[in-house]
Amino acid sequence: MSQPSPDVYEQGRGMDAHNQVMRGIRAQAEAAYDPHEPTRVWIDEDRTPDGLQESLTIILNTGGCRWARAGGCTMCGYVAETVDGGSVPHPALLDQLGVALEHEREHTDEPCPLIKIYTSGSFLDEREIGAETRRAIAETFADRERIVVESLPDFVAPEKLEDFVVEGLSTDVAIGLETASDRIRQDCVNKYVTFADFEEAAAIARDVGAGTKAYLLLKPPFLTEAAAVTDMIESIHECGTHAHTVSMNPTNVQRYTMVDELYFRGGYRPPWLWSICEVLESTTGADTIVVSDPVGAGEDRGAHNCGECDEQVAMAIKDFSLRGEPSVFEEVECACKRTWELVMEHETSYNLPLE
Amino acid sequence: MTEFFEVVERDGPARRGELRLDQCLITPAVADDVLVDAGDLWSADRDVPEGDSDEVTILPHRGFPPGTADEVVDAFAPSYPDVSYPSAAVIDPRTADDHGADVYILSTAQGVVGHASAFREAIKRVRAGIPDDTGLCLSGVATPANVALLAWAGVDLVDATRAKIAGSRGQYLTPSGSYGLDDLTELPCPCPACARSVDEFDRAACIDHNVATLRAELATVRQRIRDGRLRELLGGRCRHTAWVAAALRESEAHPGYLEERTPVFRRSDILASSDDVLNRVEITRYADRLAERYECRFRRPAVLLPCSARKPYSESQSHRQFRDVIQYRAHRVAISSPIGVVPQELECTYPAQHYDTPVTGRWSPNEVTLIGEQLGAFLATHDYPRIIAHMPPGGYREVVEHAVGVADVDVTYTVEDHPTVEASLSNLAAALDGELAYSRYDRRQHTIRAIADYQFGPGAAAALFPSFDVEAPYPKHRVLGPDGAHLATMVPEYGLLALTLAGARQWVAADLEVRRVTIDDFVPHGDVLAPGILDASADIRVGDEVVVEGPSAFGIGRACMHGRAMVESTRGVAVDLRHSEEL
Repeated sequence: MSQPSPDVYEQGRGMDAHNQVMRGIRAQAEAAYDPHEPTRVWIDEDRTPDGLQESLTIILNTGGCRWARAGGCTMCGYVAETVDGGSVPHPALLDQLGVALEHEREHTDEPCPLIKIYTSGSFLDEREIGAETRRAIAETFADRERIVVESLPDFVAPEKLEDFVVEGLSTDVAIGLETASDRIRQDCVNKYVTFADFEEAAAIARDVGAGTKAYLLLKPPFLTEAAAVTDMIESIHECGTHAHTVSMNPTNVQRYTMVDELYFRGGYRPPWLWSICEVLESTTGADTIVVSDPVGAGEDRGAHNCGECDEQVAMAIKDFSLRGEPSVFEEVECACKRTWELVMEHETSYNLPLE
Repeated sequence: MTEFFEVVERDGPARRGELRLDQCLITPAVADDVLVDAGDLWSADRDVPEGDSDEVTILPHRGFPPGTADEVVDAFAPSYPDVSYPSAAVIDPRTADDHGADVYILSTAQGVVGHASAFREAIKRVRAGIPDDTGLCLSGVATPANVALLAWAGVDLVDATRAKIAGSRGQYLTPSGSYGLDDLTELPCPCPACARSVDEFDRAACIDHNVATLRAELATVRQRIRDGRLRELLGGRCRHTAWVAAALRESEAHPGYLEERTPVFRRSDILASSDDVLNRVEITRYADRLAERYECRFRRPAVLLPCSARKPYSESQSHRQFRDVIQYRAHRVAISSPIGVVPQELECTYPAQHYDTPVTGRWSPNEVTLIGEQLGAFLATHDYPRIIAHMPPGGYREVVEHAVGVADVDVTYTVEDHPTVEASLSNLAAALDGELAYSRYDRRQHTIRAIADYQFGPGAAAALFPSFDVEAPYPKHRVLGPDGAHLATMVPEYGLLALTLAGARQWVAADLEVRRVTIDDFVPHGDVLAPGILDASADIRVGDEVVVEGPSAFGIGRACMHGRAMVESTRGVAVDLRHSEEL
């Protein structure tokens, strides 16, 4: 009889196993990228504590996420997007910045008041973005209103955020918390961060006059649709006291991830768009702005419904994210909602995914 | 260890069981009403639930969906607490083991149902891991079209979830496949949900219909298990659903799991209504045993004869005519599909008189090749002085011609047009002119020896009955030792031997593999129950003769479970004891 010992959970064998498997999966990725080009740049519109603002989003191409090199999170494929060699020098990063500004000039008349900067890892990790580059970026955008930089909580430090605050920018640190549940974050997402780390980082930000934005993951692998929705609602309420905005990211199936392996074998389905509606509708009373911009909505690898109503429901979600008006959901209806209700009722850890 | 589930009847890998809650549930069944989920451990830590004797509590678990890496399974597999109430443990093929539960739920069901070889492999692995007498449950997958396959493969419990989900999407399910609700112009079903016009039939009604149809199909499945005829039902159902047909073929093409669970005889007939039947374990096992164990002891010409609808063949009108002409001057060998080659000594032996086949006279190329090969090998092995094929033209003749090509033997054909017409019978008489008849003594001796070899292994007759007499008319022969002791009786229904205590003692004393059941220190009467069994030979099949031995008892009986099930089970009748004595 192979009866695993009950204290496996405490010993962290789960994380070792996840990391071992993820390293194997990631080793299959072969793509390499140009260190002088950002990964992606786009112009959009975002809901902020100051209302709707036009935004410039830049995903910088850096050395990549340290945690991903160890194995990393079960749903994250961004490690496949980093450059060879592990780090990108200051001049190359400035080149990337230049490309982003050029893109902005081409695509919008006015400079965007909101700047959002991401890397495939942590913007505040100085192995990815050195202090010199960080300050250069802060100076570059000093004339804007608000800047959001994404980082794991460990790298959040007062002096790093002050680089932006002193330029007069409303500064937000965006933290990929994924869930308020340490258990789910560790066992399903394989992220080493704890809720206490998040609270600590949020406190540091608050002390220097910056804000916190939390990124939460809807439906990590191994969870049922109903458990995922419950976890998201609870997480939003728990984050509300620390973060002025929560961005709900429905899991999408990225290449070279554990989620992709499960999906390929029929063991994972991204969340239903109805689940996103459910969360947004039932958290309107939360003490925080809740937004969601599902990646790949309506596609098989993204959050989706039956195929008939996806476009309409995705529009309602987008609309809600901009305006926060729950009545938008009253206007969408589809027969597949009954199927989703049955999935919510009957999907279990031993029969998922039910479709 | 299962306390609340018992297998009460077996039909190949399928089982009819009893889930003994406050109200007993007969399986295979829909278990929605009795399964209570105490929750998964991915989303929260959970206490050991309190449980209830009226339900099966699914213990806190981590389900591993299809595609979960082995390392992750190993690191996260939970341990299950010992509980005193009816319980279920969630497992995947890798963690299938004895966790002390009554029921085991396979977490990779979604990944294997719909995929023939993955399904076969998963069921085999899970059944090898969990104790034989525990219930196996697949959740979220059962439909009226696949549940006969699930039950046949050894699944005891399912739920109505898939049927409900399909209904919510407007899929109208039947045992012969599904229809889009929009495509139905009338409702082909008498269930209460369908008692309305098709225009008023909505998705809510479709859910009710699907669930009712699933339950009805399971009732049919349970009846079929009682009748020992589930394989025949599946043979029909699989015509409508490709993966179900593929799963059946895959299973019969890799028969290890099936062979262990297939009885050595059945009360019911095999209906040979498709070529797939040629791959059934009952058929292939007969062919294997004939090739490996049969020895022809008649030094006479062989007469190849067509089979007859009436069985045993010798009692049919046509074979009476053949026998009148042959007059014990030749060895009668009948050719049939799907059974193959049936020497006269084995005409009663299962499955030679337990099949029914649609008679058209046309043989498929597959039948001709398969049975032609078998006959060729038979003729090449058994060195007959002459071979007379009293076979009608068409498929039978093609089989003989194929066999002649394989065996490189000469054959005399005696049939003109039809085997029972005057001209054919005179040809047969002429062909046997001058041959000497064998004695009744030889006939009886050879029959008993052939059956003993077939039943107990190559050369078994000589070791088991070195010298014996036969009394009572065919097919109810009794085997007596030189001292007159009754050793065995031929059972006419199955053409097998039932041993007496004296016969069993000769078996144990002989240099033969004995199918043996070792019991604890008690004296059984009537039935031997599984909990009293310490060990059992792995090659015991349902229906086999088995010696029962313990410190205080010696007996002989017939197996009601396969050997591994006897060892693993904590409930149920293992051996139907015929004779026993206290030591």
